[in-house]
Amino acid sequence: MSHDTQEVSANDAHARGPLLLLLGSGLVWLVLSGVLALIASVQLHTPTFLASCAWFTYGHMQALQETAFVYGWLANAGLALGLWVLTRLGGEALRAGNWVTVGALFWNLGVTIALVGIVAGDATGHSLLQLPRYVQPLLLIAYGAIAVAGVLAWSGRRNETSYASQWYVFAALFLFPWLFSVAQVTLFVLPMRGVMQAVIAGWFAQGVFTLWLAPLALAAAYYVVPKVTGRVLPAYQFASLAFWVLIVVGAWTGGRHLIGGPVPAWISSLAIVACSLLVFHYLVVWLNLKGALGQGGAVMKFTSFGLLAYVIGGCADAFTSIRSFAVITQFTYFTQAQQQLALYGGVSMLFFGALYFAVPRLTGKTWASAALIGGHTTTAILGVLLLVISLGVAGWTQGQALLKPAVTFPEIAAATRPWLLLATAAYAVLLVGNLMLVVNFLQTLAAKPTVPAATLFQATSDIKETA
Amino acid sequence: MSTSSNQDPRLTQSAASDTSLLAAHEKAAGKQADEKGNYKLLPLALLFGFSGLIFWAGTYLNRFSGQFSGKIFDENSVPSTGAEVVAKIDPIVLGKKQYAAACIACHQADGKGLTGVNPPLAGSEWVNGSEERLVRIVLHGLKGPVKVLGVEYSAAAMPVFGKVAGSGYNWSDEKIAAVLTYIRQEWGNKSGPISTELVSAVRTKEGDRKEWSAEELLKIQ
Amino acid sequence: MKNGTLFFLGLFASLTVSFAVVLLANHQLGALTPYFDDGEGKAFPDRMPGVAARGQLVYRDLGCASCHTQQVRRPGFGADQTRGWGERQSVARDYIFQPFPQLGAMRIGPDLTNSAGRKPSALDAEDLMNLLYAGQGAMPAHAFLFNQVKVTGEVPAKALKLTGSAAPAAGYAIVPSEQAQTLVAYLLNLNTVYDYPESRPVVQAAAQAEGAHK
Repeated sequence: MSHDTQEVSANDAHARGPLLLLLGSGLVWLVLSGVLALIASVQLHTPTFLASCAWFTYGHMQALQETAFVYGWLANAGLALGLWVLTRLGGEALRAGNWVTVGALFWNLGVTIALVGIVAGDATGHSLLQLPRYVQPLLLIAYGAIAVAGVLAWSGRRNETSYASQWYVFAALFLFPWLFSVAQVTLFVLPMRGVMQAVIAGWFAQGVFTLWLAPLALAAAYYVVPKVTGRVLPAYQFASLAFWVLIVVGAWTGGRHLIGGPVPAWISSLAIVACSLLVFHYLVVWLNLKGALGQGGAVMKFTSFGLLAYVIGGCADAFTSIRSFAVITQFTYFTQAQQQLALYGGVSMLFFGALYFAVPRLTGKTWASAALIGGHTTTAILGVLLLVISLGVAGWTQGQALLKPAVTFPEIAAATRPWLLLATAAYAVLLVGNLMLVVNFLQTLAAKPTVPAATLFQATSDIKETA
Repeated sequence: MSTSSNQDPRLTQSAASDTSLLAAHEKAAGKQADEKGNYKLLPLALLFGFSGLIFWAGTYLNRFSGQFSGKIFDENSVPSTGAEVVAKIDPIVLGKKQYAAACIACHQADGKGLTGVNPPLAGSEWVNGSEERLVRIVLHGLKGPVKVLGVEYSAAAMPVFGKVAGSGYNWSDEKIAAVLTYIRQEWGNKSGPISTELVSAVRTKEGDRKEWSAEELLKIQ
Repeated sequence: MKNGTLFFLGLFASLTVSFAVVLLANHQLGALTPYFDDGEGKAFPDRMPGVAARGQLVYRDLGCASCHTQQVRRPGFGADQTRGWGERQSVARDYIFQPFPQLGAMRIGPDLTNSAGRKPSALDAEDLMNLLYAGQGAMPAHAFLFNQVKVTGEVPAKALKLTGSAAPAAGYAIVPSEQAQTLVAYLLNLNTVYDYPESRPVVQAAAQAEGAHK
């Protein structure tokens, strides 16, 4: 019954090429988006920065950094980690690996074209969907090629029942292309009229987080936490209910940012209610994954920070969506702070944790430098905290000032300036940390393996079931 | 084993195998009551919490969704029964606007008209007198000689304003009532308002007809 | 989850049901027609003139919506009315003739829904050109929307009247490019003129709402 098994097998070696390509390109986008975000942040408090060039208006910068971060870094890393988790839990080697490679190349080509297009002025103006119209079909097809491997890994799994990570990845693999293709058709091919575009754009943007990125991040966390702690998740019998709450209710939050806007009131009321219902999902995720807190090592530190950010951010979202709060924070930097908490503090940090766990298993070597790991961990945690807090305070100040008609906009700019300077500092810190990660990654790839992979990893025993 | 300081930070070891992870969680998902047959507190607390959230959600939607109507943009309002949500329009304000749009050219901004050509409205016995006559003038127009404030206007050609055949304006009854209410309280006139119902009643009664003449009107009280 | 097919269908159903929200909204808003006012004898909203429609594309391409909103919230929800951004809430009908409504999500700068209709402080074309050229406060300068031309003979009619350190060198004039001209035409067109029935305030006690006002 109880037996020791090998941690790595030929499956990991087989999946190495495509997945490391995805991870590597993701890291390149991470650094690039960090530079773009830094420039955009500088432009907020120093409007003369790069103002003479039509390519680098703040509007372009905002669209560029968002696209590079979400469709460059988060997409590549999420797909890589998702496919890795599926193949590990499926027990079979990665099939259609060549499709993944080709898909990854075309996806990154598409994102590059998108960034050039945005600089040329073809950004669509919709949050989280700034990709120019002409590049969207290419991205959809490339995604499909990558997703083929995932679907095959699910359908070919050895175990008939499945684990929460597998549900989340499988859901993410399908929900994104459905969301994306519907948004493409209803916004660009056969555009809906007037404010309906805002409704669809909101549905898509919320869907990108709740139905695509959050599931990928949760899949990674649900895998890594019991693997490292060696214990069964305590509230696992609720995991499927939490999953379905996220999938069903998450898509109803589309009207979240249309509160008070030129849409019928029921759309935003529905979104407010949905944000509150999601609290159940966050609670169950917290109960399941809180075993990560207090553990040592980069993987668990990133995972616990990501978990805290995800849960706290989600509960804060439920609270701040209520109209009496939204009247202050709407249209301010506070919403940027919330988005950064969710995307950077939540999803990205969970990806970092899983990345540090996965790369040794994929490459068969340890990470090259412990110092760079420690540096990245510290800078990432500090950077995210500084960023979220500074943008949050800036937004709160701005929101309170907007409610007072006598306060002019130059006065608001002066009041928020110190906080925006702090936000720029935070972006700089994050960029430094990500550069450390990239250097470490490249060094790891370049290093020659010192010992055979099989001996590198201690044999694993059975998971401990709690009473 | 949980991680400790003597582990290599460059490699996080796993404490459990994938197969045991799958098997153990499959078992955990099937758990119901614990061995003693009692329900654990955790599931009950979560279920109560979830029900509470749904209850709150339902109450919030009931109160703030405007009954899911496409015409309610303010979450505090409720849809009216069938008709659109319309605030009541002040007839004087509407009437003044209508006057400025159509009547001012002939009857002038001070209501004094043009002597011999266009009759005045200020102090006019036609305006301040019988409501029935006044409504008919505007509804169907007036043609022919008419005496106003002692002055004869031989070729009066008051256009047709109501929603009747031959009308170039097709004003609603509400508009006609508003403009008449306006002129009856402007420029020193101090007569009462004209109701929309009166205009509608007159229009129903008279139907389509050609312009009134002064002697026909004088027969009406 | 044992049954893969059922799981897949569950995912599809969840997304489809959420899209039903969008479809319901489209049913309510997608067929909105202009509102015909008997008194004015015309329908509102007006379509944008062609130049202004091109200007909206320039607005979108530059990403102005990343700092400016174009949606006024209802009275009582924030200070939109007291700041003079609009006398009523923006409603869906205001946007039916805009191919790319630029609702915006941040108010780093003021709301622009009625920027051309504000009394008495609406900016005219000259003010807008100067503002775009030089920037002001947190608004960056958009000098790339203008060209510096050598003056041969008369100063061009459209040249900006700049003084002091912003003025160009002697013998040169700053002339707006076509992008700047269409953008300003668009900004001068931003004015929601009509009170639709659905936009009138809820408080029935304030029954003096006008039928329409310019």
